[in-house]
Amino acid sequence: MSPSPAVRVTNLGVRYGARVALHAVDFEVPRGQFVALTGPNGSGKTTLIRSLLGFLTPDVGTIELFGTPVGRLSIRERARQVAWVPQDEVLRDDVPLRQYVLYGRYPHHHPLDRETESDRALASRILEEVGLADRADDGILSISGGERQRAILARALAQETPLLLLDEPTSHLDIAHQLDLLSRVRSLSRFGRVTVVAALHDLNLAARYADRIVVLSRGRRVADGTPRDVLSEDLLARVWGVAAELGIDARSGLPYLLPRSLITETRPAPSALAPGPVHVVGGGGAGAPLLRALTEEGYRVTAGALHLLDTDAETAASLGVVAAVEAPFAPLSPDTRARHRILLGEARAIVVAPFAVGPSNLANLEDLLPFARATPVIVLEPPPGTHIDFCEGAATRARDALRSAGTTFVDDVPAAVREVARVLTGGLRESPGLPAQS
Amino acid sequence: MPASPTTLRWRRFALGGLLVIGGVLLVVFSALLGAVDIPVRLGLQILLNEISGGRLFSQSCTGTSTSAARCSVYTFIVWNLYLPEVLLALIVGAALGLAGGSLQGVFRNPLADPFLLGISSGGTLGAAIFYVYRVGVANADLYLPVFAFIGAVSTGLLILAVARGRYSSVETLLLTGVALANLLSAILSLVLLYNPTGSEQVTFWLLGGLGLADWQVDGIAFGTVLALGTLLCLYGRELNLLQLGSDVAQSAGGGAAAVRLRVILLASLITAVAVAFTGIIGFVGLVSPHIVRRIAGTDYRIVIPGSAAIGALFLLSARDISYLAFPGSLLPLGIFTAFAGVPFFLYLLYRQRRSAPMGGP
Repeated sequence: MSPSPAVRVTNLGVRYGARVALHAVDFEVPRGQFVALTGPNGSGKTTLIRSLLGFLTPDVGTIELFGTPVGRLSIRERARQVAWVPQDEVLRDDVPLRQYVLYGRYPHHHPLDRETESDRALASRILEEVGLADRADDGILSISGGERQRAILARALAQETPLLLLDEPTSHLDIAHQLDLLSRVRSLSRFGRVTVVAALHDLNLAARYADRIVVLSRGRRVADGTPRDVLSEDLLARVWGVAAELGIDARSGLPYLLPRSLITETRPAPSALAPGPVHVVGGGGAGAPLLRALTEEGYRVTAGALHLLDTDAETAASLGVVAAVEAPFAPLSPDTRARHRILLGEARAIVVAPFAVGPSNLANLEDLLPFARATPVIVLEPPPGTHIDFCEGAATRARDALRSAGTTFVDDVPAAVREVARVLTGGLRESPGLPAQS
Repeated sequence: MPASPTTLRWRRFALGGLLVIGGVLLVVFSALLGAVDIPVRLGLQILLNEISGGRLFSQSCTGTSTSAARCSVYTFIVWNLYLPEVLLALIVGAALGLAGGSLQGVFRNPLADPFLLGISSGGTLGAAIFYVYRVGVANADLYLPVFAFIGAVSTGLLILAVARGRYSSVETLLLTGVALANLLSAILSLVLLYNPTGSEQVTFWLLGGLGLADWQVDGIAFGTVLALGTLLCLYGRELNLLQLGSDVAQSAGGGAAAVRLRVILLASLITAVAVAFTGIIGFVGLVSPHIVRRIAGTDYRIVIPGSAAIGALFLLSARDISYLAFPGSLLPLGIFTAFAGVPFFLYLLYRQRRSAPMGGP
């Protein structure tokens, strides 16, 4: 029989009065895994951690630690199974670090026993491990914030538990100390010595150190998997309401997110008074920066014809941009093309993204040509050296046709946005009825 | 920056030695000090002779010019009046120190004091009811402490009951105590207003004194304080852990609500003993733990017994200062402890306001 998992949470529900903090959360952590628990403020991370610690009694559901329901463990037994590293501790007394770390030995002794020699040796070893050996006799109140957090970790490690819970352990630390702390925790879990569940705000830190990321949103588990599986622009838009770009770190191969701007839920849907519509022709992600920039400027934006599930389509959906959308990887159907032409016809300006053109979306450019005579068209040049014609020159011919029709060519997104402002009312910022900039 | 472990060990050793030597000297000095002046050599001789059970000298006053009749009066004064008073001061001071030390630990608040919880007010109300309504007055020595004890403990239990529903916050408990103390004072005023008889005794009670001291009272007080104090000392490690906050303490295997309640209950009981025999004596419980922490560090395994020792000597000093400053009669000790304690309290408050917010999770 395989050993029971370090953590098994089944159908967990916790409410504070009328507010539901956790709703039907199922969650299992195999032994030795490093799980990052993430989600916006108020998503239930801390509630889940506190439930695992047995501080909260769930309204429904069960929590098992190494196969035993957490409620059935005494406080001392629990403290031998799971240790906790809080964000910070409100400390009053300037206890020497060595003494402070020894507090972690409490659950291993009868309350009347004194600390043994082996306890002291363990405390010294752990202080060494977290890099505080030379500060062992200093007071906990007189060391720096980064050292304090490592001291808290040391105290938790002194409990010698197979499970370690961290609640935003890095939130008071600068970037160097964040990396330092998490890499120390990472190395603990590396050889399966310790199972780690850490609530982390920072998705990039989570991706860098955790084996697995669990995302909570409004008390529900909304994503769960390896950092590569979980991290996406869409996730950030949906869960955090933040427009971000996803990249892959060339050295580690790990994904990272670059937050760009807030997608405010209260932003009014572009009203009929907002300038536009501005139509973006794109695909495959080439149009996403344009969509975001134009939305940000307050235009009504449309897009087409995009393929479902590609980045442009997802970005359009997350921004509330009306788009003509085709099924994934399919050639554009007559229906979609018809809808796309309607959007093109309504547009007061058309921006063409430097998208890769293949047989399935060549029709985008062909459909655009007739409108170029009546509507200002702005074409973004692809970055130098980028090949975007995958139709044996058909795409290049289409772009040449646009050029001869007198369209404007620009080099980057800001230039495109300026050009849009110029061809519309001659300067956007002066125009009335513009929604407030966020 | 805390003192290094070696320094701390040395300081604890020094503090212990100083307490023992200073304590013995102070007790001997105090036993000769009182309403009636007693020649020092005679007093010492009386003390030694009585302690040794009369084996040292054929008569206490051998070798002095004191007459036998006078000698037996002196002996009575030293042995049956002064010494019980001295011992009661030590016992009650220790009780208040123990209560203060453990309450400051369990509340994580250096301003906690047995009297903040209103336990003393409950005891006083009990005593007032005894005096005013003359219940069991024929057996006053027995009934007065019993009434005070009932009043104090039931107040402690009431605070616990109120606070237990929402135990989450220490502030809740402290504020409950403060509110209750005020309510009890109001009831006390009402009782006294409608029954002026007995209000004089109650006034004395409100300021605290050693007037009840005799060997029997000392025996009862010593027994209960020893038992309760020993139990409180057992919670040293638990209180150390609690200083990290109740959540962290629980995650490390201690600090259960039940444990905190037990410490508060024991502290209430030991305060009740003090109130029952001496009335309200403030600030001993507040000041003593601070002195110990300053010298011997913040380990509650040291702080609690240390507070007992410092508290005992503090209260005894208050008695002596009363006799030295106002020879002839013993004034209420609450006056002297307040003169020493209030400036200290204000200093703590000022320092605390500058450094950290009150209380804590």
